Amino acid sequence: MDNSICQAYEDEIQSLEEEVKLLTEMYEDCQQESTFFSDEEVLLSIKSFQREFQGEPKGHEFKSDLKAELESLETDLSFLMKFTGIQFTSHSKKTVEKKRNRTVQKHRLSGNCHSFSFQLEFQVLEMKNKESVSVVTTNLNIIMAAGEDSDVSKFVSSTEEQGSLLTFFRSLSSCTEWYEHRRCTFLHFK
Amino acid sequence: GVFAHLEMLEVQAHEAALKQEEMEEQEEKLARLKARVQELRLQRDELRAKVDLQQKGQLGKEGVVSDPAQPSARAVLEWKIRSVKAMLQIFCLTGISGKLTKRGVCFCISTAYKGTYLDSYYLDLLTKPEVKIHRHSIPIFIPLEQIAKKYLQTDIRRFLSVLSDHLNAYVGRRYQADQLQEHFSDQIEGTLQRNSLHNLLVFNYKVSSENQTFPFNVRLLYGDLCCSLPTEVTISCTPEAPAALAEMAAAHSDLFRRTALHKAFRSISGAGASVD
Repeated sequence: MDNSICQAYEDEIQSLEEEVKLLTEMYEDCQQESTFFSDEEVLLSIKSFQREFQGEPKGHEFKSDLKAELESLETDLSFLMKFTGIQFTSHSKKTVEKKRNRTVQKHRLSGNCHSFSFQLEFQVLEMKNKESVSVVTTNLNIIMAAGEDSDVSKFVSSTEEQGSLLTFFRSLSSCTEWYEHRRCTFLHFK
Repeated sequence: GVFAHLEMLEVQAHEAALKQEEMEEQEEKLARLKARVQELRLQRDELRAKVDLQQKGQLGKEGVVSDPAQPSARAVLEWKIRSVKAMLQIFCLTGISGKLTKRGVCFCISTAYKGTYLDSYYLDLLTKPEVKIHRHSIPIFIPLEQIAKKYLQTDIRRFLSVLSDHLNAYVGRRYQADQLQEHFSDQIEGTLQRNSLHNLLVFNYKVSSENQTFPFNVRLLYGDLCCSLPTEVTISCTPEAPAALAEMAAAHSDLFRRTALHKAFRSISGAGASVD
């Protein structure tokens, strides 16, 4: 009899630990998503960071790791934007659902690819099963400020209908190759 | 007699002491577990209240909220790091992502079929003295060498774009075949034959005409490796099959050429089940 009580407690502990982990992530996600600091504020923070820990060798390595991490990430991001030609100007996301094996996030993204500027809204559904995580994008909404170019609007509505975020970006990126010659042809991907 | 008796009493006493120890250990364990459960319950309830408060604060506010308490420099940096990481994750959704390395770049090519993201492939490039592929996870049946020979030295973007076309088409074909097997296995007779590159599919399926079922044999050839639709469709039926079936075969053949395999099957079978 004792064993089954033990087992019941252990089961409850496991489920509570999972719940605590999930709630903590939800709290942190929400904090992250509802906060915004401008580039100036970030720069000021970096400076104050460095001032705080100058002359303190013990804390210094650990703290400067944060700065190094940020720099490395920003270098990667700026490389990708330059390489693909896709410049993101703003991004916001909101976690609308978070369960043990299912997360749904709403994204709003704007940017441009040479002279073509875009605004997107989409949802990302992540589902965890035993072996892997599956990612599906849904509710794709594309707003493209490219004037009355009919090829562009045809292309946009077809990728929007198919819900294909990947196709949209791949075509956008390859389009810039021809753009140098001031002609842009969008391939209609099926 | 006496010694044996004494020995027996000793053994009994020993066993009783062991049992006592066991019981005390059990009780201690139970007490610990109980305490842990209560601790976690408290933690969980506190977090729930915190999250609820957060959600209430979000109602009606679509814009940005700055923390009323002055955030520490560390908090700002951590926020920024998470923000940049989220942006890099978005790049994964665009199809091409990557990370600079000491000697070059490691690219990550993502693939998707419509909105469903499938496999990701890695390509570790060295950039000095010339661009070279150091390591990769591209499957062997994708003509990587051919594509690299043609574009890698002159136009890396084009190289990645062409490689991405091949990879996306391949996973697209594979996805269609998988969906077919998953959702229409009752209509498929025998096994669906496919090669690694998934540019050749052969299978049999049942069609009914005049209350009889006949097998159709389909051969799908995907001649364009950058395309996930077949270039050649061959449908054959048994020689005794009624003439009306020839018309059906032609219609199906046309359908397979124009529509994704699992979608084509959906319209053939008229199934209500939603696929994809």
